Amino acid sequence: MAGNGMSTAPDAGQRQRGVRRTALLLGSVAAIFYVGFIVMMIWRATR
Amino acid sequence: MAYNDHAATAHDHDAHDHKPHGWRRWVYATNHKDIGTMYLVFAGISFFIGGTMAMLIRLELFKPGMQFLDPQFFNSMTTMHALEMIFGAVMPAWTGLANWMIPMQVGAPDMALPRLNNFSFWILPFAFTLLLATLFVPGGGPAGGWTMYPPLMLQGGAGFPMTIFAIHMMGISSILGAINVVVTIMNLRAPGMTLLRMPLFVWTWLITAYLLIAVMPVLAGAVTMLLTDHFFGTTFFTAAGGGDPVMFQHIFWFFGHPEVYILILPAFGVVSEIIPTFSRKPLFGYEAMVYATASIAFLSFIVWAHHMFTVGMPLAGQLFFMLSTMLIAIPTGVKVFNWTATMYRGSLSFEPPMLFALSFLFLFTIGGLSGLMLAIVPADYQYQDTYFVVAHFHYVLVPGAVFAIMGAVYYWLPKWTGNMYDQTLAKWHFWLSTIFVNVLFFPQHFLGLAGMPRRIPDYAVQFTDWNMVSSIGGFAFGLSQFLFPYIIWKCVHGGVRVGNRAWEGAHGLEWELPSPPPFHSWTEPPSDALIQRGAAH
Repeated sequence: MAGNGMSTAPDAGQRQRGVRRTALLLGSVAAIFYVGFIVMMIWRATR
Repeated sequence: MAYNDHAATAHDHDAHDHKPHGWRRWVYATNHKDIGTMYLVFAGISFFIGGTMAMLIRLELFKPGMQFLDPQFFNSMTTMHALEMIFGAVMPAWTGLANWMIPMQVGAPDMALPRLNNFSFWILPFAFTLLLATLFVPGGGPAGGWTMYPPLMLQGGAGFPMTIFAIHMMGISSILGAINVVVTIMNLRAPGMTLLRMPLFVWTWLITAYLLIAVMPVLAGAVTMLLTDHFFGTTFFTAAGGGDPVMFQHIFWFFGHPEVYILILPAFGVVSEIIPTFSRKPLFGYEAMVYATASIAFLSFIVWAHHMFTVGMPLAGQLFFMLSTMLIAIPTGVKVFNWTATMYRGSLSFEPPMLFALSFLFLFTIGGLSGLMLAIVPADYQYQDTYFVVAHFHYVLVPGAVFAIMGAVYYWLPKWTGNMYDQTLAKWHFWLSTIFVNVLFFPQHFLGLAGMPRRIPDYAVQFTDWNMVSSIGGFAFGLSQFLFPYIIWKCVHGGVRVGNRAWEGAHGLEWELPSPPPFHSWTEPPSDALIQRGAAH
């Protein structure tokens, strides 16, 4: 889907919104974890 | 850019089977099957690179004394072998299988985020080139073990920051791949493909993907702290500056134990696909298998300190981690029971995938039982850092994860290529692998119990005999693996044609597609009747 335009399902738009929402949610969680650990560590090191 | 240009205008239904050619097909690949193939080829190459390192280790350990390798290089080999096999072979192999199979099994046309998929894959060759390049810089490759414990790891040369950067890249690749898997499963399942109709391989991968998203950032944090300790004057893990090297072990194993399940959960999924097919019976206790997988994943977060009983911790801590570790035996036992019950009174046949699944069942259980022994705190004081531990985790990872990957390839290869492979040769591959994997690793239990420490290039003479046996097993196992790419190569280039359902007892949406499947499969979602027929568990 996203980008390859292959969906022929009737609710393609809704699915695409779902894909975007889930991807953003998981991406944000992963990014917050990933960057968060490193930022927390730098903050801790400078105290 | 022919492929991407095409993809942008792909509303034209006739164009769905347009396949880009040449290098562009692979470099710009967004098709899940192509990316799956690239992951699998990458994993195969890493398997042979990591295997060569293992052969060098076994060569040096063939007899006591220093023979061929410099001790520093030997330590690099143990470290690089582990990194190469875990992050370069087993994890990419699972991701490759996920790419190939998940869209076909849930009735989706592709992975949800195809360009991200391309990016996730192409990070890997750069990461591993960087990692392998450490062997050629001053100071050599990382030599502190794959666990990278400080202060030893901090003594690395120019290869140290390269290793850290390579690990970051591998971690980012894994996280992006995991996001893609979750988004695909949660959003692109065909209408009617409810969660409890999904094949077990999809379920185990869904849970694995959540584990990856949760723990890879922890590894990233841990190695970044190592980096800042080395280059920027922090003292997270340096006692002289108020830091604590044991803290690294806690952080590392908080990642490391779930990582073990990241390597093995998809294997549970594959075995849960293969055994029903060749037993010609539905999987016994499908829902129990799903809950057992989720339980194992949950428990993996609360057992990490069993890897470090001997660093010294309060008795309450030891008891907690011992008992929580033992709890894992319950859902794992549920799985082994259910696989056995699936076979009970089944109409069994022993094609290569089933042979690998059965070998997995017996030998993974041996690895699980030695794991239970290691969970016992007073016993662990004896086993810690000996070859018993090496034997344990190799039983879990080689006849466990690697055999499951091989079983999966033998199971789905006819679907991917449309050809049946040479089953006689595949059975040779199976028997040679199963016999020699035991010759290789079983004696290591004896060596460990007798007190031989791990990660040493030399040893006391009383350990000689079993080391020789182990090395002979290693060389024979290593050589027999060349059959695997040969069988695959031969199958890709011809063989007896197979129908949609390459195995008579196979169920699942992938078997409703032609063999080989079209470049874009399920462009129309499968009907409910097909889904119900596939979900015959």
